[in-house]
Amino acid sequence: MGAHYIDDVELLPPYRSLFEEMVFLLQSGILPSSIAASTGRILAGFLLGATVGISLGLATGRSRWAESVADPWVTFLRFTPALALLPLYVVWFGYGEASKVLLIATNVAVVTLLGAHQGVRGVPRVYLDAAAALGASPKLVFRRVLLPAAFPQIFSSLRVALGLAWVTIVVAELIDAKMPSLGYLLTLAGAYPRVPTMVIGIATIGALVLAFDLLALLVHSRATGWMKRAE
Amino acid sequence: MMVSCAPSLRLEAVDVWFAYPGAMATQALEGLNLSVQDNEFLALLGPVGCGKTTLLRIFAGFLRPTRGVVRCDGSPVDGPSPRRGYVLQESAIFPWMTVRDNVEFGLLAQGLEPGGRRAISDELIGLLGLSAFESAYPKALSAGMAKMVEVARVLATDPSILLLDEPFGALDAQTRARLQNELARLWEQRRKTVLFVTHDAEEALYLADRVVVLSPRPGRVQAHFQIKLPRPRSLETRFSPEFSALKRRIWESIG
Repeated sequence: MGAHYIDDVELLPPYRSLFEEMVFLLQSGILPSSIAASTGRILAGFLLGATVGISLGLATGRSRWAESVADPWVTFLRFTPALALLPLYVVWFGYGEASKVLLIATNVAVVTLLGAHQGVRGVPRVYLDAAAALGASPKLVFRRVLLPAAFPQIFSSLRVALGLAWVTIVVAELIDAKMPSLGYLLTLAGAYPRVPTMVIGIATIGALVLAFDLLALLVHSRATGWMKRAE
Repeated sequence: MMVSCAPSLRLEAVDVWFAYPGAMATQALEGLNLSVQDNEFLALLGPVGCGKTTLLRIFAGFLRPTRGVVRCDGSPVDGPSPRRGYVLQESAIFPWMTVRDNVEFGLLAQGLEPGGRRAISDELIGLLGLSAFESAYPKALSAGMAKMVEVARVLATDPSILLLDEPFGALDAQTRARLQNELARLWEQRRKTVLFVTHDAEEALYLADRVVVLSPRPGRVQAHFQIKLPRPRSLETRFSPEFSALKRRIWESIG
């Protein structure tokens, strides 16, 4: 039965060839404007989520009290899929940009919170003792010992969160779905269905994830030149 | 000789117990009395697990004894202080800072301006022959060099007391001997009160004015040796009959 539906669709191009579709999406401005819109949301959600997540993670890493308050929420949110939060966010934050950005920010915050928490907890005691013995104030210990020592772990959580932000965007853009938007482009392509658009949409998101990750790695290797690495 | 000044460091009747959940409490130190005189180099010798590190952590201000009194220059020790330079047993050089930034960390903590910090770190880095590595990260250093940077980092704030916890314990014999010479030279140039923990009798003898031998756990003072070997100490010292005789007496006291 379903076969009829499938029969009408060319499972893989050429319905239009991928190349033609690419030219169309670029020349019409659909793809560039979608990339710009979605990247903007990602960056806003990522910055907000990372700021909140890292701050909270540093706090929970340093204080058992903060940890006991935050831990149930983190565990709760960590395993709650974005799609499940979606309707709630629409009710809370409205049917618009705010909900999209906040959905991304939530996912980013949970991951970076865990990264910062574990980063701080994993700082070897000897460094803190050595710093205290040298007369360092808590503020100096935080800035010059705790933060740099926890940095590699915080950074790898940022990398994971950045990838996750791209996963979330497709769901987030179901809210107030309209163009330009990569997520909605994919939803539309699925509705028609229009396979070349799907393939190009997925490939575009994949390429953007790769590009962002490469950028993150570059920053990482520059910022942690002090670390011992396997050759 | 009249001792006119109070000892720099003093432990009186100190007991330390450690309690772990689900395990029997263990006693690390028992009724320990120990004084280190001003500008004395005292080596604390004892087997692994006898409470040497515990004792040093008490003086460093990281651990309060279960019972007894800890004094530094007459006043009770109630926390870490840069006046008591403490070099931990484990490697504690900050891997994210260059050699220079490591050496200057204590000065930064004191709020010294960059020019002042630089003058002091220049001198210490030069003294230890590490000038070629001043901008390097610790990963580029050998274990021996890294340990000397830690010693320099502690010396930078010019503490009157040095607490050294087996600083050369993890090094090969050759490097150890070299660093022992450097430490002896350094100490002969800038006298300080030193409490040096080690499990190596020869190292203790070579460096110290006095060697205190601790018993196995719970640690008590088992024997004292005044070391009157001439300074500066050298290769001659190591192979002198007096050195061998002392070494033998120390070994005999360990049993």
